[in-house]
Amino acid sequence: MPRPGFVLEVDERTPPLLVHEGEGFRLERFPLGTRVIYPPDPLPGVPDLDAEIRRALLHPLGDAKPLPELLFPGMRLTIAIDDISIPLPPMRLPDVRQRILEHVIELAARRGVEDVELIVATALHRRMTPREIRRMVGERVFRSFWPDRLANFDAEDPGALADLGTTDHGEEVEISRRAAESDLVVYVNVNLVAMDGGHKSVAVGLASYRSLRHHHNVHTMLNSRSYMDPREGRSAINDSAVRMGRHLAACGVKVFQIETTLNSETFPSNLGFLNRREWEWSAADQALMVAAKKANDLAPPRIRREFFRRIEAPYKVTGINGGEVEAVHARTLENLHRQQLVEVEGQTDIAVFGVPYLGPYNVNSILNPILVHCLGLGYLFNMYRNRPIVREGGVAILFHPVPWEFHQVHHPSYIDFFEEVLAETTDPATIEQKFEERYATDPWYIHLYRTSYAYHGVHPFYMWYWGAHGRDHVKDVIFVGGQPSSVARLGYRRADSLRDALEMASDTVGSSPSITYFHAPPIMIADVR
Amino acid sequence: MAHRLSPGHEEGASPNGWFASEQREGAGGGRRRWGAEAGAGDRRARRLTRSCLPTGRDRIIYRVVEAPTGSIAKALAGRRVLLTGVTGFLGQVLLERLLRDVPEARLIALIRAQQGVSPRERLHHLVRKPAFDGLRDHLGSAGALADLLDARVEVVDGDLTRGEPELPEGIDVVIHSAATVTFDPPIDEAFQANVLGALNLYRAATRHSRPALVHVSTAYVAGVRKGVIPEGPLEHRVDWRAEAELALAARGEVEAASRTPERLERFMAEAAKEHSRAGPLTVASDAEERRRTWVDRRLTDYGRARARSLGWPDVYTFTKALGERAVEELAAEAGLSLSIVRPSIIESALLHPYPGWIDGFKMADPIIRAYGLGQIPEFPGIPEGIVDLIPVDFVVNAILAVAAHPPGPGEAAHYNVSSGTRNPLRFYELYEWVREYFEAHPLPERGRGEHKVPTWTFPGNLRVERLLRRAERLTELAEAVVTHLPKSRAMREAVSRVDRDQARVRFVRRYSDLYGPYTETEVVYTDDRVVELWGRLALEDRARFPFDVATIDWKHYLQDVHCPAVTRSLRELSRRERDRPLVRIERRDEPVLAIFDMEGTIIASNVVESYVWARLADLEPAEWPAELARVFGRIPGYLQMDRRDRGDFLRTFFRRYEGASVEGVRRLIDGHVAEFMLQKASAAALRRVREHRAVGHRTVLITAAAEPFVRPFAPLFELVIGAELEVRDGRYTGFLSRPPLVGEARAAWLRRFARQEGVDLRHAYAYADSYSDLPLLRAVGNPVAVSPDSALYRYARRRRWPVEEWSMSPGMPRVRFPKPAVR
Repeated sequence: MPRPGFVLEVDERTPPLLVHEGEGFRLERFPLGTRVIYPPDPLPGVPDLDAEIRRALLHPLGDAKPLPELLFPGMRLTIAIDDISIPLPPMRLPDVRQRILEHVIELAARRGVEDVELIVATALHRRMTPREIRRMVGERVFRSFWPDRLANFDAEDPGALADLGTTDHGEEVEISRRAAESDLVVYVNVNLVAMDGGHKSVAVGLASYRSLRHHHNVHTMLNSRSYMDPREGRSAINDSAVRMGRHLAACGVKVFQIETTLNSETFPSNLGFLNRREWEWSAADQALMVAAKKANDLAPPRIRREFFRRIEAPYKVTGINGGEVEAVHARTLENLHRQQLVEVEGQTDIAVFGVPYLGPYNVNSILNPILVHCLGLGYLFNMYRNRPIVREGGVAILFHPVPWEFHQVHHPSYIDFFEEVLAETTDPATIEQKFEERYATDPWYIHLYRTSYAYHGVHPFYMWYWGAHGRDHVKDVIFVGGQPSSVARLGYRRADSLRDALEMASDTVGSSPSITYFHAPPIMIADVR
Repeated sequence: MAHRLSPGHEEGASPNGWFASEQREGAGGGRRRWGAEAGAGDRRARRLTRSCLPTGRDRIIYRVVEAPTGSIAKALAGRRVLLTGVTGFLGQVLLERLLRDVPEARLIALIRAQQGVSPRERLHHLVRKPAFDGLRDHLGSAGALADLLDARVEVVDGDLTRGEPELPEGIDVVIHSAATVTFDPPIDEAFQANVLGALNLYRAATRHSRPALVHVSTAYVAGVRKGVIPEGPLEHRVDWRAEAELALAARGEVEAASRTPERLERFMAEAAKEHSRAGPLTVASDAEERRRTWVDRRLTDYGRARARSLGWPDVYTFTKALGERAVEELAAEAGLSLSIVRPSIIESALLHPYPGWIDGFKMADPIIRAYGLGQIPEFPGIPEGIVDLIPVDFVVNAILAVAAHPPGPGEAAHYNVSSGTRNPLRFYELYEWVREYFEAHPLPERGRGEHKVPTWTFPGNLRVERLLRRAERLTELAEAVVTHLPKSRAMREAVSRVDRDQARVRFVRRYSDLYGPYTETEVVYTDDRVVELWGRLALEDRARFPFDVATIDWKHYLQDVHCPAVTRSLRELSRRERDRPLVRIERRDEPVLAIFDMEGTIIASNVVESYVWARLADLEPAEWPAELARVFGRIPGYLQMDRRDRGDFLRTFFRRYEGASVEGVRRLIDGHVAEFMLQKASAAALRRVREHRAVGHRTVLITAAAEPFVRPFAPLFELVIGAELEVRDGRYTGFLSRPPLVGEARAAWLRRFARQEGVDLRHAYAYADSYSDLPLLRAVGNPVAVSPDSALYRYARRRRWPVEEWSMSPGMPRVRFPKPAVR
């Protein structure tokens, strides 16, 4: 049994601790008494992946028949797949989705199913490039289906959407017509964090803006405590997705959900020290760390970015389950919590986060300032159950250089959002009310979303809302090492060092605050009692 | 008319009266100066208050209660006085003085119509200027002043350089103060204005009347003579008629010389070097502009050379001297009374219309301002040399006194209205006091505190000249470097710096060449006749029309009156944010065009790069080196061709597409090149295009690229004008199906398009980055230079066009190779 998560209290013997900061990392000495939350050690992977996949398909959970029984000749089968936003970093090949797809497609072929289509469930994310899709689904599947029967979902193709009415809360449900009109939808997911999977797969991944806006908004974000805690009544966004998922089922959309969970082996062996606790670093780890840090600090930005872009995670699969959506997802969350949950006693005045180089929306791209905000105050801040790590009115200190950089092809509406919207206001509610509609319906952004590789025009708004709860909860946000102009545009403050940041925070939380450093990645969830 | 003088000690003026002051000879006969203890000469002191008056026991302040009836006013009462140059520096004060203090003189103003504005309208515009503030206040309203003008001033239209004007009969006095404003006009213009113009005026005036003439000349008619210059006719034997005739003929000669094939070829070559990319029409018009400039400069050289060969520093003083002679002859022949008034360097007013009044900048002011801005490290001149300044109100008062006391018929009287004899201001004193002024009141430099003024060491003219030459060589070198830098923000900053340095060096060169002689003169203009005239004035006139230079306290004048006046606008300017020209995008009821150039404006790329990208995406990586070698090997040739003729370059370049399948190219572009183009596009550019669309403007893209390459941006534009490649059997032939739209062709196309569509180009917008797009930019009402090259940058700044910096987002790699297509 691997070691569970752990909360260290910094004392005289504690070495400097590793902190991620974008495309780099630093060793930082924390004040005595700082609590440091470490994730549990990686769980072992399943011994035989193929056997486990077969088991999941043949012995489904909940009220579902085994997959072969659901397949019949002449049927219309749609297989939807999670997109490039998970897992992070991208998984070392073969991708678990490829393994599952091969089994599912083979079963379908054996059962004489001819009308099979694969849809990458991108929702309003950017289209994946053919190269990226090929990497994800594998050469065999790609060659057989690309480009006619394997494609990215297009949430702006009016002919490809089906309006399925509204939920009992009046939420419009509009998803892929192909999925809605199929005899069976098989959804192949990778459940990296607790907000993924479940009803979010089909009801969100294959939905249009008209449908998404009911849960992707400031109101639901401010009423999700947190969106990483999908228990009913905790996450307004998840509750809405569940309502939509149940509505879909009621409308006769039949889904066979296949969910997978991964362990926490996030970094390859040449960066193995990033997976380990500092005082346990071997001589080799230390040497590697020094070499990597030196090389990284000296490398020109492009080389550095390329180096990080090439990191592939040696994740191992800790569980695969198939069947009825809710039953599968409950099992998935168990597996996830086994790997990610860490018990933490009480809240803190100051929470410190190292914002890493990668979030869901900048794979093969650039982590622009809006995404830094989303990754820091959205994802990292929300990695809790019960209560946030930092108390209400506390301070969040984040490490990231926040460069004023954007990927022009992937994030065109982000640039305009940053230059136009944030220049006017940073208040999520005002932004939603004044600008969202215009960006969401802008024909140029729609054109780029559909024909190029751009995130939808409304996507930067969601990223801004994602951090709304964190922004609302703390009194001060300080970026250590952040570029002044871009941090100011985000409406935050910056400091040159942790010491300066703590000094600045003392205005809010006094001179002897309690400090907690959330030592992620690898990903974990703080269960704050 | 009765008047009452009442001694008083009040401060401030009574509503109906105004103060004047009188200085009495003190017991010891010592010299006292105006306002020795006065405060700053700002506009608050416009009315004479005690702060501007001499202080001391033996001073009497007179309060004039009734209209004046002193000897000057009396002498000119009922007389018809013809004035020229009333819109000028001297003329404004003269007119104001006559209106206000010589109530019974009947005035005739000779004004020439200008650009559709009638002479009377010009007069009415004139009296809105600050010189008339006091009079307007005194009368109570602008309407009252207009009524006064209509009642007292008869306006005559006439241009003296064009011939004799039609003048009314019964003129008693002619005061001719019109003159050219510049010191180095072309020789023919100088003669027209200063010699023939004066003759035209006096001939016209004497046709029906026998007026007394007051001819305003300059003290510097003495030329390069040294020593004491008496107030009498100049001694020289220059035949002004012959000089004038040859001067007028010079233009014909120079015009002819400028049209020789060799010269024209040179103008064309110079113009082509700078403008060939903009097209032949631009080159031709620039060559013609160069020819005209050459003609003017050549005529200026003629003037300066002729002046110097006869003993005058410049054509201005030379022609003024000949003008005096011509007028003397005319007056003697006609038996007229002639007074010649020769002021020295006229500067701001000491007292009237208010202390520090100045209109535009006179001779010393640009130098004072530039010095205060720290831009003149040294200046030539003899430190002990006398700088002969004279406040404008002293000149006007002297002119009025002269007009009131004409010599007998057939006689001529000369007056040097100058300060050099009785109250000399040395060059080093001027410098010291001006420096003290700026040290006490430095000019603010926005955002950077204050300007520091340099300390002059007067190292001698040779050394100053050497310094200047070195600075000139350095700026020329810098100029050569910056114009060859590649297009970038750093280049544009460097260009601004070089332009600023060059302007400074040119400034010092121009002023040291122009005014060097004036700061070097070791000459004294005696003013015995002026003193004598002063002695003949009634006490009241002396109070009202002071021109006794002995009373000027130069330190006070410079530090409290003149320098504050000439630097006021600079201080106001530095307080205001300098408004950068901005693009205003407005919705209009009528259709509005917004035209965008593509390469370099919307995308940071060009036809070669996009071609290479497309080629590479189509090839296996193993084949890249050979293809890259093929293209890069040709790049020097392409560049050269592009510089010579962009159309030629495009024609040659597009031959590369020969045999390519239309469908293949289209697929390649949608699959790969589109991403490349979007990556190279500026987000700011696309935002701007969409802003135009949002307010209903019709957006047009003009590009040199082949039409398929523009596909990624097509949804943003109503119309895309690109190179159209000829297609045969589904393949490109490598030829263009219509000539490439570059340079002037773009402007021509745009005009035709606008006519067809009924669009007014005055409301249109155009965005471009290169000087070659100048014709396009000039065709519209709202041109915008986007990340411009050095030539366009300069042009845009001169014209105050908005300049935008559009670039790729930071973090995007500048050079990227395509990933081979996934097949």
